[in-house]
Amino acid sequence: MRDKDVRIGVYICHCGTNIAGVVDVEEVARYASSIPGVVVARHYTFMCSETGQNMIKDDIKNLKLNGVVVAACSPALHEVTFRNAVKEAGLNPYLFEMVNIREHCSWTHTDRRLATEKAKDLVRMAVAKVKELEPLEEVKAEVVNSVLVVGSGVAGLSAALTLARAGLTVYIIDKRPVLGGFVTRLVNIAPIGIRGREFVKPMIDELVKMPNVKVLTNAEVISVEGGVGNFKVRIRQRPTYISDSCTLCGYCEKACPIEVPNEYEGKLTMRKAIYLPFKEAYPPKYVIDENACTKCGKCIDACPVKAIDLSVKERYIDLNVGAIIIAVGHEPYEPDKGEFGYGLTRRVITSLQLERLLDEEGPTGGRFIIDGKVPKTIVFISCVGSLIGNKTTNACSRRCCSTMTYDTLKILSKNPDSHIYILYRDIRTYGFEEELYWKALENGVVFVKFEEPPKVEVMGDKIMVYVREATINKNIVIPADLVVLFVSMTPSNAGEIVRIFKLSRTADGFIREAHLKLRPAETPTEGIFLAGAAAGPKGVMESVIHGAAAASKALALLLNKKYILREPLVAKVDEELCSGCLICVGMCPFNAISVKYVGERRVATVNPLLCMGCGTCAAACPSGAMEHNGFKDKQILAQVRAFAGVVV
Amino acid sequence: MSSEYEPKVLMFTCNWCSYAAADLAGTSRMKTPHNIRIVRVMCSGRVDPQFIIEAFAQGADGVIVSGCHPGDCHYMEGNYKALRRMLLLRKLLGQLGIEPERLRLEWISASEARKFVEITTDTAEKLRKLGPLKPRLDYVRKIMEEVVK
Repeated sequence: MRDKDVRIGVYICHCGTNIAGVVDVEEVARYASSIPGVVVARHYTFMCSETGQNMIKDDIKNLKLNGVVVAACSPALHEVTFRNAVKEAGLNPYLFEMVNIREHCSWTHTDRRLATEKAKDLVRMAVAKVKELEPLEEVKAEVVNSVLVVGSGVAGLSAALTLARAGLTVYIIDKRPVLGGFVTRLVNIAPIGIRGREFVKPMIDELVKMPNVKVLTNAEVISVEGGVGNFKVRIRQRPTYISDSCTLCGYCEKACPIEVPNEYEGKLTMRKAIYLPFKEAYPPKYVIDENACTKCGKCIDACPVKAIDLSVKERYIDLNVGAIIIAVGHEPYEPDKGEFGYGLTRRVITSLQLERLLDEEGPTGGRFIIDGKVPKTIVFISCVGSLIGNKTTNACSRRCCSTMTYDTLKILSKNPDSHIYILYRDIRTYGFEEELYWKALENGVVFVKFEEPPKVEVMGDKIMVYVREATINKNIVIPADLVVLFVSMTPSNAGEIVRIFKLSRTADGFIREAHLKLRPAETPTEGIFLAGAAAGPKGVMESVIHGAAAASKALALLLNKKYILREPLVAKVDEELCSGCLICVGMCPFNAISVKYVGERRVATVNPLLCMGCGTCAAACPSGAMEHNGFKDKQILAQVRAFAGVVV
Repeated sequence: MSSEYEPKVLMFTCNWCSYAAADLAGTSRMKTPHNIRIVRVMCSGRVDPQFIIEAFAQGADGVIVSGCHPGDCHYMEGNYKALRRMLLLRKLLGQLGIEPERLRLEWISASEARKFVEITTDTAEKLRKLGPLKPRLDYVRKIMEEVVK
């Protein structure tokens, strides 16, 4: 027991008739006042009301209470209310315990006697715990007013812009050599039909001109230490080899002897090992593909401004930031060879390759031709990699249906004689995009609903598509000139990100948000936020919104703040008892426990800024040295003993 | 045993899932057995086996530990740690002469009020059939002290 002179006040709420209608509150109060250590027990209509709270405050002052128990509703509702009341009366707010006799008692029971007995038991258990509670001070964490944005797709750009406009220092990094992310590969952002590269350009232009923004390309986070308000992040930046003096003359590209498929053109064309990803690229300079380059040096000789240096090594950059926004996006599903005929002929392509074929600045200059011929009969297959295919997920990719219907209109405007079939299981052109579906129908696109996935057979020049139409229940065979597989979104190296940032993943492998509905754009780790398709499939517009949402949450945390206060319900080591076995270190999911030396002796130590307060280290500690503030062994054991009626 | 016998059940719930499920059961006015007493912890991974041994030693007829579904832990993996500890503890309970089925580990998410009601009702029924815990208390206490040390 913390003090011989325990003076506890117990307050029973009627909650109108919500509690008092089932529980005999007078009897509970009478019983509570008989528990040793309880100096006052009262009951009142609404404890959470001004009068109710004042009743507690006055007692704390007049009766010199050093512990408070409120038996009312769920702590989820009013724990903060009463904690503040206790604090305002000058008592440490962590010498308070709440008992739930509404949700857990009066609302689920009808027998007055049994419900009253249960309420008495719960009050007795809480009083026992309060006797063991200790005053705690909130953890004060200094705040660094800067944010790291990992990933520069639309979500990352949107987040970085919001933060930079508010005046925070923003670091935006991307593992690729250029900014803009996945969207730069798209030509038709439905429903407006804007080219992806033109879509991100104004965002990038505004961002890079701001003095409080620092851009790092070819860069990845390799480790994170510290916690909310003060993260220490180590970044590895792979060399770009080319300085900012590059004039984009292109002589190096001509000199380069290496050719590889161009991922920025859907691998439909080849590019050199030294190349410009696309003409709007930022930073505006050539880049070198490290995996393809043989370092032959021909580009160095060709460069008129001596901008190339192949001896540059990778470098490490340490950043100190107050919050982190993870916007690593997604990867498009890559079908296996032979999956719906993919890879067996050049005339089965993915939706991303179709995007490139429709781009005025794409490999065909916007002419919709394949192998030199205009395809007449075109079959779109939807949901490849999400609902159908070798690997499937439960997540709808959200943007494909509208893109698919928009693409049919684009193709028909180029080649009005085309016959287009859309094979689908569900069409989800939601919101404003519904109009695209009707337009496609009006323009003669044939929608074929399937339940069993269609089969694609490649026979030399011919492609045959077999499908059973689910509404008329008839088999259909379509001889096609071109098959387009609309591929789903899959998580982008989420495993690695989750490991580094200690986050968790959804069943489909995306990074998990703290709460899908109530805490979007947040992770369970304070100070780490999530934006865009990294958290699950999103359309372009949704990613922009999600990015701004993540940024505003980071702003709410950091803006105009020198420090933040954190609940002190964290783990703490009793260094006298600690034997230095370090079992706790392996237990901690947040890297919050480290080793420290007290003279010669090795002990564990907890960083209260990193500790999230789960208490699993305390449960594992064999010597009882690790304690969980607010849930200490002695506090919980007191509750357990009181459960059986043992009153100390 | 007499028909009057009502088991006493102690339940440890995770703050983020099962405690909220119990709240939801109340909000939805579902009827739960009246002999369950809940101790709220932040995570099922906080539940030290000594709490459970102590509960049995003090006369609990059954203990439920309830956390988030695998993969859903608020602290990422606390529920897996609870699982490992409870599996081991069940073996130990058998050796102490306590029927291992008196200890239950369950996953109840915040939205599963129905499951909360089913689990608690089922536990109460099974324990009613099993009858009061009749361990050799002195022996248990001795073993417990060793375990705690």
